[in-house]
Amino acid sequence: MPRSLSPLSIPYRAFQRGGGIVVFLAFALSGGFSIPGVGPAGPLILLVVGLLAVVALVGFEIAYVRRFSYELGEETLDIDSGVLSRRSREIPLRRIQNVDISRNVVQRVLGIALVSFETAGGGETEAQLKFVTFEEAKRLQRELARLKREGSAEASEDGEGTEAVAGKPESTELFALDRSELAILGALSIDLRVPGILFLLVSTIGSTVVSTYLDTVPGFALAVLAAVLVLGLAFVSWVVGAAASIIEYYDFRLVRSGDELQYERGLLQRYDGSIPFDKIQTLTIADNPLKRHFGYASLYIETAGYAPGSSGGGRGSEAAIPLAKRDHVLELVEELEPVGDVDLERPPRVARRRYLVRYLLVVGVFTGIAYGANALFALPFPPWTPLLLAPLAILFAHATWRNRGHWLGDHHVVTRNGVLRRETKIVPYYRIQTIIDSRNVFQRRLGLATVTADTAGSLSLGGQDAAAVDVSSARADELREELEARLGRAVDAYRAGRAGIGFEDAYGVDSLQSEAVEIDSEDDSEGDRDDIDSASESVESREEDA
Amino acid sequence: MNRLNPRIRLLWIVRALITATVLAGIAFGVGRVLAPPWLPAWTPAAVFVAFGGLGVMLAVLRYRAWRYEVREDSIYLERGVFTKVRTVVPFVRIQHVDTSRSPTERLVGLASTVVYTAGSRGADVSVPGLTPTDADDLRERLKRLAIRSEGEDAV
Repeated sequence: MPRSLSPLSIPYRAFQRGGGIVVFLAFALSGGFSIPGVGPAGPLILLVVGLLAVVALVGFEIAYVRRFSYELGEETLDIDSGVLSRRSREIPLRRIQNVDISRNVVQRVLGIALVSFETAGGGETEAQLKFVTFEEAKRLQRELARLKREGSAEASEDGEGTEAVAGKPESTELFALDRSELAILGALSIDLRVPGILFLLVSTIGSTVVSTYLDTVPGFALAVLAAVLVLGLAFVSWVVGAAASIIEYYDFRLVRSGDELQYERGLLQRYDGSIPFDKIQTLTIADNPLKRHFGYASLYIETAGYAPGSSGGGRGSEAAIPLAKRDHVLELVEELEPVGDVDLERPPRVARRRYLVRYLLVVGVFTGIAYGANALFALPFPPWTPLLLAPLAILFAHATWRNRGHWLGDHHVVTRNGVLRRETKIVPYYRIQTIIDSRNVFQRRLGLATVTADTAGSLSLGGQDAAAVDVSSARADELREELEARLGRAVDAYRAGRAGIGFEDAYGVDSLQSEAVEIDSEDDSEGDRDDIDSASESVESREEDA
Repeated sequence: MNRLNPRIRLLWIVRALITATVLAGIAFGVGRVLAPPWLPAWTPAAVFVAFGGLGVMLAVLRYRAWRYEVREDSIYLERGVFTKVRTVVPFVRIQHVDTSRSPTERLVGLASTVVYTAGSRGADVSVPGLTPTDADDLRERLKRLAIRSEGEDAV
């Protein structure tokens, strides 16, 4: 049965769009405005025109809400919408990446919510319901999960698969951000955008004012003023950053419900999202030296969808644990993607030499610049000062080498890179899209190579994919072959319905059993191929009919 | 291992020469309009020779480095002069396959086949320097192989 939007969304939508008109009317009627050539009747005409606009708007919104219907079927989500130009869509449930519910303060008072459905295609949210009641939004989220479970249970006629997915999903809380962690998170967040915005404001608005004052102020006072300004700026950025991250992550909770991951967060605007386990592309554990020292880390969960709720537009849909004890993060990773004990293999020692040369070159360039500058302006410090950084370069080269590594597990490839922002990426073999092995001139001289496992994840933090950087050439050849072979095996196993992500029974099998799985899966994939062939035959026959 | 059609060198050389001509033209324009006294009159010629020569050399080297192979389960590409890149695209991950012919390609009678995946980088892998029939054949072959080994749920 098709359903419609909540009636309460009519006033909300009308107000959202028509708020400007009302404000303008109030302003105009309070006497700040008169239309030339109309005389005393001016306000009246204005009122009539304004009222007409409001009526038209409300009428449009009523029509929009009444003409909008959606239905969650067994296999598709059907949406019919549009007042003048109609649009009807069918979204296959299997293709839906995640469902996000967001409510701002007003929407929470009215008890309505915005529901967004994400798919992997395109650069934007696939479908949005503006707006339904919160209960309905939650029901959609639950129903969608249930229908997808049933769909996949039917698809894999495997007895075990059905057993694993049948029954009511139980919810277990995986993670909750407590007050102290929120406080630490706030304290560590500095919003670097604030200085930029302030600078822009000052340079556009205040430039004329400032320059007239600057001439009258003596040099010393100017220096003090500058120092105060810089300190103030730092303080404001810190406060804004802290407030923003506290508002964003207030009351963050991550819950496992059946084979879905659900998160809730936000102080003013509540976000409420679900991520199916089998849509997880990559897990990233990120930390920096400070976090490492105090034993904290962050976790990012990537899917291929796009969500409006995530901060810093274009970063794609991700649930993130902003900050948690490292052990906790690792436990959670184990829950989501059972990787087991990771034993990272470091790059060969010759790579460390490469980093040392690289960083010493940087120091050398700085020294060169200092000498050049000294020849021109006579610097207040000796030009060899940058050379003091050399020990730091040595340390940093060693740290770069130490923190880098890769590991092939039973079901995942794990890579780790970076010192100041260290990222450990966990990619299930099944999620690999392409394998790229690149060797630049310097790497080839030392017999090194970089192997990248590309995924469809949408997190574009510097566009970094899981990469085993600076492994030996022989190892790179091996990795390339091995990753491809393991992807093939994972696909076969997945098809057989045994080793899908989210099906726990496939993990922790010993080698004997996994061999059995392989044999099974080969049989099944043969069956699949037959199915596909017969499907294509039927298409052909239909074409003949036509 | 397949190599590209040798005519691709011609295409790359023509492209390099076009770029070199444009750069030489810019140098000539700068010499005429701004006429800085330190700029010798033979600059445009030097620019053309330098960039043209470099382009021709790169075209030859690039042709020598390029290899591709359609394997049992994947397509394998090897390319790059300074940075050697080897890419493996498993058939299960192919989203769709295109054949494209740019104006310069049509000029020398060549075409490219482009393979798209859902990956976030290297989302499209292109094999240049194929004769149009080869490109169509490769596309058809890849399409068939991709359908045969269809991934249940790539993303």
